[in-house]
Amino acid sequence: MADETPDVQSVALPERQKGRVDPKLLELLVCPVTKSLLEYDVARQELVSKAARLAYPIRDGVPIMLPEEARALDD
Amino acid sequence: MSTPLLFDRAMLEVKRKRALRRFKPGADFLMHRVAEDLGERLGSVLRQFDMAVALGGVTGHIATMLRASGQTRAVIRADCLWPETVAGTGAISLPDLVCHEDVLPFAAQSLDLVVSGLTLQTVDDLPGVLIQIRRALKPDGLYLAALAGGDTLKELRESFAIAETELTGGLSPRVIPFLDVRDLGGLLQRAGFALPVTDSERLTVRYRSMLDLVADLRAMGASNPLLERSRKPIRRDLLVRTAEVYAERFSDPDGRIRATFQILSASAWAPSDTQQKPARRGSATVRLADALGTKELPTGERP
Repeated sequence: MADETPDVQSVALPERQKGRVDPKLLELLVCPVTKSLLEYDVARQELVSKAARLAYPIRDGVPIMLPEEARALDD
Repeated sequence: MSTPLLFDRAMLEVKRKRALRRFKPGADFLMHRVAEDLGERLGSVLRQFDMAVALGGVTGHIATMLRASGQTRAVIRADCLWPETVAGTGAISLPDLVCHEDVLPFAAQSLDLVVSGLTLQTVDDLPGVLIQIRRALKPDGLYLAALAGGDTLKELRESFAIAETELTGGLSPRVIPFLDVRDLGGLLQRAGFALPVTDSERLTVRYRSMLDLVADLRAMGASNPLLERSRKPIRRDLLVRTAEVYAERFSDPDGRIRATFQILSASAWAPSDTQQKPARRGSATVRLADALGTKELPTGERP
């Protein structure tokens, strides 16, 4: 199971600027409740789960993937 | 089927936050040890991992270990505690992502490595969490775990049981039920992991008295998180009697008491076609007796 990429540099993910979420992190995330895709609302800094009708907040670049902290979508 | 609820999740978070805020130097000794051990296990796997998640663990030792390992390209520290709660405390790295450790927000086949250290002994549905982890891993992705096991705090459990029965004629749960090392292997297999390897290590920590042990547990954020715990403050006479029983039964000749911590560790892989598998039954081309250079005897016959 050896790998041929020994020159990998270990970098901490949060090279985040203030208030910005790392795009690499966003690619991994799904709604924790429904495991469905999320839409990134840049203006509101939210990750929207249409399936769960929830919008998860991003605070200072940190996604808060807690259903109890999410805003319920009412429309 | 719903899972019986054992743990008071809100209370767990309160206790962990309090422990971080009033950080007592040295109280993270188990985390240090576990992070070091998981680091060694990772080091024995000759591979690089692109996307790694350090799951839970409060203090951030695991994420820091992963970042220093040189074996990961990106590390996400996911924890149930918010960064502002963790900042300026005894924690050594901040969460990049906040989630419950048992309701994971990771897409299927998105991660190369998941490491959890001393986290999953306090989730209600461990089989469910393991399945979520396995699904989040890419094929041939690795899961490394350490969690407190069956013998952890057995002396404390027994001392409480004796003292409480004596004084009140009844028992209330004061030490959480822990997993056995055999159960862990079985659960990993049931969750669909390949090549699971489990291991157990016992640490004996000596304290001046039971009260010092209890203070240390509180400083780890590890005091009783059970839903069924007694909500009344512990009676002083019960605490005193428990400490006496503990000292009578579990102390060394020099008067110091012993506390056992059992650390279970596991490594397991998300299944992939590239992994070794047992050969199909009946597919052998050489007789075992020939390979061993012995004579095959019919069943029931003795040499």
